[in-house]
Amino acid sequence: MNPAVHLDGITKRFPGVVANDDVDLEIERGSVHALLGENGAGKTTLMNVLYGLYRPTEGTVVVDGEPRSFASPRDAIDAGIGMIHQHFMLVDPMTVWENVVLGNEPRTWGGLRVDEATAREAVVELSERYGFDVDPDARIADVSVGVQQRVEILKALYRGADVLIMDEPTAVLTPQEVEELYDVFEELTDQGKTIIFISHKLGEALSAADEITVLRDGVKVGTVASADVTREELAEMMVGREVLMEPATTPREPGERVLEVTDLHVEDDRGVEAVSGISFELREGEVLGIAGVDGNGQSQLAEAITGMREPASGSVDYFGEPMAGVSRREHIDRGMAFVPEDRHERGLVMSYDLVQNGILGSQHDPPFASGGRIDWNASTEHAESVIEAYDVRPPNPDADAEDFSGGNQQKFIVGREFERDPDLVVAAHPTRGVDIGSTEFLHDRLLELRAEGKAVLLVSSKLDEVQGLSDRLAVIHEGEFSGVVDPATVTEEEIGLLMAGETLDDETVSGAAIHDAVDDGLDGSGADGADGTGDPDDAGGSDRETATDEEVGA
Amino acid sequence: MSGRDGGRLPAIVRRVLEPFVDRSVAERVLISLAAILLSIGVGFAIVLVSGRIAQCSTAAWTMPVTGLGFCYDPIEVYVVLFNGALGYPFAVGEPGIFNAAWTPFNLSFGLTLSETTLLVFTGLSVAVAFRAGLFNIGTQGQLVVGALATALTVLAIAPLLPAGPIAGVVVVAVGTLAGAVGGGLWGAIPGALKAYADANEVITTIMLNFVAANVAYVLVLEVFRAEGSSVVATRYVPEYAQFRPWLFPNSSDFALLALLVAVGFIGGLYYAVEHTPFGYDLRTSGVQAAAAEYGGVNAKLTTVRAMTLSGALGGVGGAVWVLMSEGRWIESVPDLGFDGITVSILAGNNPLGVLPAAFLFGLLKGGALEIGFRTDVPTELVGVLRGLIILFVAMPEFFRMAGRYAGLGSDGPGGPGTSGTGGEDGESEASGDAAGSGSDAAAVGGGEADA
Repeated sequence: MNPAVHLDGITKRFPGVVANDDVDLEIERGSVHALLGENGAGKTTLMNVLYGLYRPTEGTVVVDGEPRSFASPRDAIDAGIGMIHQHFMLVDPMTVWENVVLGNEPRTWGGLRVDEATAREAVVELSERYGFDVDPDARIADVSVGVQQRVEILKALYRGADVLIMDEPTAVLTPQEVEELYDVFEELTDQGKTIIFISHKLGEALSAADEITVLRDGVKVGTVASADVTREELAEMMVGREVLMEPATTPREPGERVLEVTDLHVEDDRGVEAVSGISFELREGEVLGIAGVDGNGQSQLAEAITGMREPASGSVDYFGEPMAGVSRREHIDRGMAFVPEDRHERGLVMSYDLVQNGILGSQHDPPFASGGRIDWNASTEHAESVIEAYDVRPPNPDADAEDFSGGNQQKFIVGREFERDPDLVVAAHPTRGVDIGSTEFLHDRLLELRAEGKAVLLVSSKLDEVQGLSDRLAVIHEGEFSGVVDPATVTEEEIGLLMAGETLDDETVSGAAIHDAVDDGLDGSGADGADGTGDPDDAGGSDRETATDEEVGA
Repeated sequence: MSGRDGGRLPAIVRRVLEPFVDRSVAERVLISLAAILLSIGVGFAIVLVSGRIAQCSTAAWTMPVTGLGFCYDPIEVYVVLFNGALGYPFAVGEPGIFNAAWTPFNLSFGLTLSETTLLVFTGLSVAVAFRAGLFNIGTQGQLVVGALATALTVLAIAPLLPAGPIAGVVVVAVGTLAGAVGGGLWGAIPGALKAYADANEVITTIMLNFVAANVAYVLVLEVFRAEGSSVVATRYVPEYAQFRPWLFPNSSDFALLALLVAVGFIGGLYYAVEHTPFGYDLRTSGVQAAAAEYGGVNAKLTTVRAMTLSGALGGVGGAVWVLMSEGRWIESVPDLGFDGITVSILAGNNPLGVLPAAFLFGLLKGGALEIGFRTDVPTELVGVLRGLIILFVAMPEFFRMAGRYAGLGSDGPGGPGTSGTGGEDGESEASGDAAGSGSDAAAVGGGEADA
């Protein structure tokens, strides 16, 4: 039996860049195949070749044993290949079934009228056959991202796709939705469909795929069965060297109090309370991690601290000074760096090049501004140094931000903020969308900042990240800290419980009583957590205790 | 994609060129030519049809072969439109291409440049607000207020100084400044309303246009009207206190100095927008307000500042209108502020583009006067032809896409913008987007291919 797809010696050159170099790939019918690689490894280019968006410079695309030459995606669709992009292409005000048939509507009245009954019936039938739980009459605007993704899949199936290409399908999903997506994969492959998904996440490839192909710098490193490979082996294939999966944090004595947040209440854009009475303090040389499911108030908390959002009540003191009513500009000038959650909205001006983006936030400050003018030479040097230090690819400061991939955009933002010489770094999901090699670098850099005595507030939904980097770990649920724990000793299960809003038996804590939590966390430090990362260390513990005592006093 | 020749050009040249590099040279030339030719083609047909419908004793033009007569000669219309606007540098009905007697300092060209000068100011006014993400429809009102402020200030201070060239310089400078302050304050009102009361600036500026026109009218009618004047107008400001029409004929109402001032404003504004922290704040607010806020830009203050600057530029336009064109404030203020909106759009809201855009408008204005003067073609029809040219030139987007489809310019799956070349069906949308958001460096690498 022929493989569903055979890419034979695909080379794709852009002038100056070889995006894919002689890549051979065979994908079995009815299998789930992960295409794994770092940002810029050539995964998306390869899939764009398969989907007819690019023509290969050399090599052949063979679908179901038949060599093909696609001039456009239309040809690829006719050959039974469907692609689901990272950003969905759905019409929000239209219903699910309307979106599915859009562009290929069954017609009556000699093609003048859309046969709505037949169309809707076809969509219902399709979604039942694959066991999709989708209401055909719901409006896209009203359904969750996970359902929208299934609509995209239905759309591809409706157009007769046998091979589904999905670009970073889990990037936009909650953990539960990811599980549901895996179920969908299973259902589809059971019925003979083939799935290729692009990912840079090891865990995802291991748990969802039958086979994994790793690309690095446009070259295929190898194809392995997911059953026969370990995380570490995969990571090494991706990065090309051995990877330390966990950053090594060393305990350090926290210094002066940088940030003190007291009974903070913050509302979101709709006026609904998102942060409900959070208190904590943060010292020099300390990393406070905030873990939680997205949308539990982390964003609003970070924005309130960095001057982007006025708190409804409560106070934020920075080096002992209240920050109420202080402008965003003043927050930056006083040494607060902020890696925002939304890089497309806030972190970067998408139509500016990196030179201009490099001074965002510093546009009034020397060395970039002097005598009422902007020194573009200094700005260019700055952008170049960030690009070099943080490995932003391609290293072209004159390219617009929107032309970079998400991971490279993120690296640039993090670089700009980290190199601001801040006293406090508030980093919201700093490594989101960033590949392993660069994530490792960002983690190291963050720990360097900590070693330099900076205070770091790290918000992340990646458990291993917050757990591995933090000195203290607060878990946020519905705008409150459901617990503050010692990351060295807590288990993933315990964090999971806290994230779901449960309290731990021996650690009954609330936002207003963090010091208790910290004490309790320390008491429990004798019992090593199963998946605990970092070095449990008594010296570190006693430092934290000191900090706690002072907070009680304050 | 910007600066694909990045390293080889000096930074300043790169920045000047940046707004243009999205399109290849071949495409841009083709677009401009196609736009003008197509508008002329359509206009040609309209002139012919109107000429067939209209009644006249002798045909201005007879169609070959068919022998049909037409009242208006479409070739003559366009020749007069462009040639006339420049004062006939090309010979008409004589041997030789060029008109030997032509000098640039003629009446028609003066009228063209006069309109150009005034539209530079209103175009800049609209452009600077646009760059801050604000739609200032109120340049007209700001111009009216600025013009009145200038006229009254000059009339007030001129008697205090001994007449002469030195007093002229002082009075013109102070008068222009008064126009800027008047227009600026008038522009600050919708700016403050937008910033602090969340009032839509489109609506407030439109309303303030009426307020400005009527308040100025009543003020002049009741208080400042020149004695014995048959129209509602102030007294004339002294001759020496006006922009003098050096080199150009007096009746052209054009002063070279005013055009130089306008060009100076273009350079100054370009510099302010592109090379100062204020300009950075302003532009960032305009393209991505959330990012500006993140970067410490005070959104409210920037809104007020941008509207004040915009109003001040409109006010200077009013000052020049008084001190160059009319010599006084008069109720029939031309629609310079509204034309400024189109000028700004034609210029892509780039200060540097305002000069050619204003000049195109000036040409059409000067040419229209010539057509009325030299032919039987009614002014309304000339208005249609002007509108057609503007409409076509303002639609480069359409031609850009057409050029791409024809396979001109950058070829193949280069940058995100070009990768949709292949399919004209629904999928081309998808393809452009996919390449743009693709998570591989190749998306950018490919774009560099266009170099």
